[in-house]
Amino acid sequence: MSVCIKTSHLTKHYGAVVAVHDLSIEVAQGEVLGLLGPNGAGKSTTLHMLAGLAPPTSGAITIFGKDLRRSFLDIVPRMGVLMERPAFYDHLSARKNLLLLSMLSGRNVTVDRALDLVGLVAVASRKVGTLSMGMRQRLGLAQALLTDPELLLLDEPASGLDVESTQEMLDLLRGLADSAGVTIVFASHMLHEVETLCDRVAILKEGRLLACEGAHNLLSYDTSHIEVLLDAPEGAARRLEDQDWVQSVEVKTGRIEVRLCKGTAHQLTAFLVNAGYQVAGVIPRRRALQEYFLKVLNS
Amino acid sequence: MIHRIWTAYLVEIIKALRLRSTYLGPLLVILAVLGALFLHPIERDGKSDYAFIAYATPVALDLLGLLLVLVYCAGSISSELSSGTIRLLMVRPLRRWEFLVAKLMLGMTYGAVLTILVAGTSWSLAFFLGELAGVSYGSEVLYTAGEMRNAYLLGMALSLVPQFAVVAYATMLAAFTRNIAGAIGAAIGLWVFLDMVKYPLHINPFLFSSYLETPWSVFANRTEALDASWFPAMGYCALTSFSGGVLFVLVAVRALSRRNLHT
Repeated sequence: MSVCIKTSHLTKHYGAVVAVHDLSIEVAQGEVLGLLGPNGAGKSTTLHMLAGLAPPTSGAITIFGKDLRRSFLDIVPRMGVLMERPAFYDHLSARKNLLLLSMLSGRNVTVDRALDLVGLVAVASRKVGTLSMGMRQRLGLAQALLTDPELLLLDEPASGLDVESTQEMLDLLRGLADSAGVTIVFASHMLHEVETLCDRVAILKEGRLLACEGAHNLLSYDTSHIEVLLDAPEGAARRLEDQDWVQSVEVKTGRIEVRLCKGTAHQLTAFLVNAGYQVAGVIPRRRALQEYFLKVLNS
Repeated sequence: MIHRIWTAYLVEIIKALRLRSTYLGPLLVILAVLGALFLHPIERDGKSDYAFIAYATPVALDLLGLLLVLVYCAGSISSELSSGTIRLLMVRPLRRWEFLVAKLMLGMTYGAVLTILVAGTSWSLAFFLGELAGVSYGSEVLYTAGEMRNAYLLGMALSLVPQFAVVAYATMLAAFTRNIAGAIGAAIGLWVFLDMVKYPLHINPFLFSSYLETPWSVFANRTEALDASWFPAMGYCALTSFSGGVLFVLVAVRALSRRNLHT
């Protein structure tokens, strides 16, 4: 798969503050990369640099195989950008805002389709100043989608959206990545959004890249941490504690949580059934992004 | 490049036309010209009609109009920076300097509209209330109506030169701040400060602000039946305005191109 974005030793200083330090990362065509990190981690600054809104202090950015600074005018029509809390011309209607932006876009644009995609057709003739925060956010996504971009840079795209709208937006973005091969880089505080949407997760802290892992690895099932639903949890726990392939057992209401030595998961069910317990369910625990995130941040 | 600048200019025009505050300036300059009638009434005496125009034009344009253009241009850019709408524009195929040029063109258009309105209103009043039959001394016609009209039209065209410097000056200061009040305050404050110190420091010949009324001086002198020449004053006006304007634009482009368009 070809590389869509490549940053080499990207660094950004704001005076004495180092917002991003020596960030080298590659994003493949059609990949969805989530930037995670606490406040001040450098997520937004990274997106601003990728969008050409903040010149890097040092380092290089290559997008679609071209240097961003030198080939900005070639690259930018193929990008859609949504920055946090998007601002619009409040005295103009939502449609007029998009029409003006489409005039500048230098590509065939689809204002009505963009409005339709984000569910704003009904309020398209209302002045932006009268729209709710969630509607403005959706309008922000509409302007990013105006030119059917091949690359989307999104900063907190679901900020201000209710649960239903957030899910719709995540579905829409996932659909764009899956069906149209759109590359998406987005920053978020919401681990749920990152879990839902991302192929890969980059964790930043104080401007440094701490980890960059495939979401599949992070969110796979952990077969050494198993939840068992059974009839007599206390008794089963006592018996399991004596086994050398069991690390620990925790009793909960109607179930036990067992931590096993690596590669011994197959023994658990057999042991419990042979011991006469009625096992109603054996559930390997799914690794949570939050767990990984906190582990990386604290390491 | 020209297509991009032209498109950005059209976008700026559409945005401005939809904004109510855009119409305040034109209304104010028309009111200023109408108000000038009370201080300088027009009578059918063959004198006061041109004199009224020569009085009303600099009052409405070089005092009020200048202030309006400064406020409009400084506010136009700093409002984009403060609201964050500039980020919408700068992720389109448009270079930052091209955006600035489009804003400069908008400011020039605004100034030109004010100038045309002042000229139109003052000449209309003079036409309906006066005679506009040229300037005479005794029975001798010194300047015909056509010569007076041409002197005014040329002055009007030349007034765009210092106006360019005014627009560029406001644009430059606005490129440094995202605070609308700060940009407008700096533009007016620095202007007033330089006006106060330019004579004691003897720097007035080098400042374009010293020549704002120069384009109207030939017409004004002719209304007094005085002979007047465009040069050398208009030469100084053009030189200081053009060089100042270009310098301001370059500084503005440099400031904006290095700016982080971050919230």
